[in-house]
Amino acid sequence: MATALARKRLRLAGLLSPISVVLGVFFLAPLSILLVYAFLEPGLYGGVEWNFYHHNFGRILGWADGEYEVFDPVYLAIFARSFRLALTTVVITLLLCYPAAMWVSSLPDRLKSFFLFLITLPFFASLVVRLFAWILILKPTGWINETLLALGAIAQPFDMLYTEGAVVLGMVYVFVPFMFLPLYANLEKLDRSLLEASRDLGAGGLRTFLRVTLPLSVPGMVGGSIIVFIPSLGNFIVPDLLGGAKVLMIGNLVEQQFLQARNWPFGSALAWMVMAAVLIFLLVYVSVVNRADALQER
Amino acid sequence: MVTTIRWMSGAAMHSALGSLAAAVMFGMTATAQGAGELNLYNWGDYINPELLKKFEAEYDVKVNLDTYGTNEEMLAKIQAGATGYDIVFPSVHMHDIMHKLGLLWESRINEHPDFKNIEPGFIRAKTDPEGSWCLPYAWGTVGIVYNKTIVPEITGWDDFFAIPDQFGGKITMLDDLRETLGVGLIMNGHSVNSRDRAEIEQARDYILARKDKISAFTYDVLPLVQSGDIAAAHWYVGAMYTVFEDPERMAYVVPKEGATMYQEDICILASAPNKENARLFMEFYLKPENPVLNVEQQMNGTPNAPAREMLPEKFKTHPGMNPSDEVMAKLQIFEDLGADLKLYDRAWTQVRTQ
Repeated sequence: MATALARKRLRLAGLLSPISVVLGVFFLAPLSILLVYAFLEPGLYGGVEWNFYHHNFGRILGWADGEYEVFDPVYLAIFARSFRLALTTVVITLLLCYPAAMWVSSLPDRLKSFFLFLITLPFFASLVVRLFAWILILKPTGWINETLLALGAIAQPFDMLYTEGAVVLGMVYVFVPFMFLPLYANLEKLDRSLLEASRDLGAGGLRTFLRVTLPLSVPGMVGGSIIVFIPSLGNFIVPDLLGGAKVLMIGNLVEQQFLQARNWPFGSALAWMVMAAVLIFLLVYVSVVNRADALQER
Repeated sequence: MVTTIRWMSGAAMHSALGSLAAAVMFGMTATAQGAGELNLYNWGDYINPELLKKFEAEYDVKVNLDTYGTNEEMLAKIQAGATGYDIVFPSVHMHDIMHKLGLLWESRINEHPDFKNIEPGFIRAKTDPEGSWCLPYAWGTVGIVYNKTIVPEITGWDDFFAIPDQFGGKITMLDDLRETLGVGLIMNGHSVNSRDRAEIEQARDYILARKDKISAFTYDVLPLVQSGDIAAAHWYVGAMYTVFEDPERMAYVVPKEGATMYQEDICILASAPNKENARLFMEFYLKPENPVLNVEQQMNGTPNAPAREMLPEKFKTHPGMNPSDEVMAKLQIFEDLGADLKLYDRAWTQVRTQ
C-alpha cells in the first residue's frame, strides 16, 4: 500500500518535472537574480557592486538618497500614468471584443475558425513593422489626415502622432487578440440551454444578457483583462514609437535604467514593483473566479 | 556615456528593427572563431560593407560583423564574458572606461609607419595619449536636419525652437539623455560634461520650457523629415545622405551656438581570439583609400588627413560636413561622468514625465 502511494508520488513528480524545470530556469531563476540585484549598489559602469543598498525602492517612492537627489515623487507619477493607460487599454479592448466575441461564437463552426484565423493574423508580421505602419497612418500627411482634408472636414492636419491618444490606440491595437481569445473561449462554451430557459421563463433579450450571459462570462472578462493589463503596464515599444518617448511609462523607465543610466539595481527594483502590482491583480482574479464558480454551483 | 543609437544610413524602419533586436537579444551568441577570421562588434550601420569585402579579398580573412545600439550594451556584453569578438568601436569615453577595466589589448598601432596619417588631435582618450592601444576611427557632429520646403533656413538652436510658432512645423529631438540635456547646457553656456546640479537643472528647465513645442524624442525621424511631417530634427551628420539624395528639400546644419560631436576608436579586445588579423585590420584602415570608402557611405568625418584630401569635392565643400572654424571651436565631446550620471538620469526622467 505504502509502496503504491510512493510510486504514485514518484510518477507525479516525474510528470511535473519538465514544467518545473522550465519554470525554474526561465522564470524563477531570472526573477531571483532581479530580486537580489534590486538590493545591491549600482556599479559605476553598469553591473552591480555586492553591497547591500536600500535606496532603490525608496527612490521609487520619492525618498532622496541625499547625495544625488532631492525628494521628488516623479516615479510615482509614472506608475500612476502607466496604470491609467493600461486600465484604459483594458476597458477599450473589453468594449470592442465583447460584442465581437459574442457574434463570432454564434456563427457556424466553419465561419468561427475563419474569424479566429483573422484575429490571429496580425501575429504573422513583426510588431515593430505594424507599429511603423501606424506611424504612417497617423502622421500629418498620413491617409487619415489626407482624407479628412480632402473631404473638407478639417482645415489643418489633426495632431495624432506622438500623443497619449496614439499610445492608447497602439496598445489597444496590439492587445485586442489577447482580450478576444479568452472572451471567445468563455462565451463559446456557454450553455445555450440556460439562455433558452431564461427566454422560456419570460425574460427579454436584454434581461437574459444581463442576468445570464454577463455573469457567466465574468471569468472570460477577468482573464482577458489580466492578460491585457499585464503587458500593457510594462509596454515600452508603443510609447516609444507612437508616443515619441514623451509619454513615459514604467517599461521605458526600466529600459532607460539598463541601457542609458547604467543603473541595473534601480531597473530591477522598478521591475519588481511592476511584478508586485501584477501579483495583486492575479490574486484579485483568483478570488473573483472562485466566487463566480461558487455562484454557478449554487 | 553617449547612448547614441547611430544609424548612419538605411531606412528608419530597418534601423529600428536593428536596435530592437539588439535590445532584446542581449545575450546572443558570439560569432564563430577560427584561424582565418576576424570578428567585428560595431554599431549598427556604422561601417561600409564594401570595406569589409575589400579586407576579406586582400587578406583572405573571413570577416564576421555583429552590431550593438549603445556603448552600454556593448560594454555589458563584453563584461558579461562574451568572447569571440576581436574588435569593438567604443566612443572615446568608453575607450577610457574599457581601458580602466582592463578589457583592451595594446596594439602598438602607433609604431606603424602609416600612423602618421592620423591627425594628432584625434588621439583623444585620456588613458591612451600616445595612441598605442586604439586607432581613431571616425567622428561627426550632432546637429539639425531640416526640410527646406517648410523652413527656408536655420542656423542654430534658437531658430530650431522657433519653428513651431514661426512656420507651424514640428520638431523632434533625440531620445538620448545626454544629447538632449546637452543642448540645454550649451544654450546656458555650460559644458556638456557639467557635474553641477544647478547647471543640469537649468538645462532641464530649458528643455522643459520648450517641451510642448517638441513633438517627440526619437531617432526614427529621417523619413518623416523628408516627407515634411516633421520640419526639423536634432540628428547626426549621417543625415547628410538624405541631403545628397534630395538637395532641393533637405539640409543639415551644425548649430552656430554650439553642438556636440562624437568620435569612436577601433580597439582590440584583450580576449580577442584573432589579434593578428585585428591588427591587420587597423593597418588596413590606416591606408587613406579605405577610410575614404567609409566616409562616402557614412557621411561622417575621418581622422585620416590624406584620406580627407582624397574625398570627392562635394564632401570637402558642403557646409554641413565642413563647419566653420568658429563653429568647430564650439563643438563639445562627451566625457564619462561616473556616478554623476544620476543627476542627468533624474533630470531626463523629469523632462519626459512633466
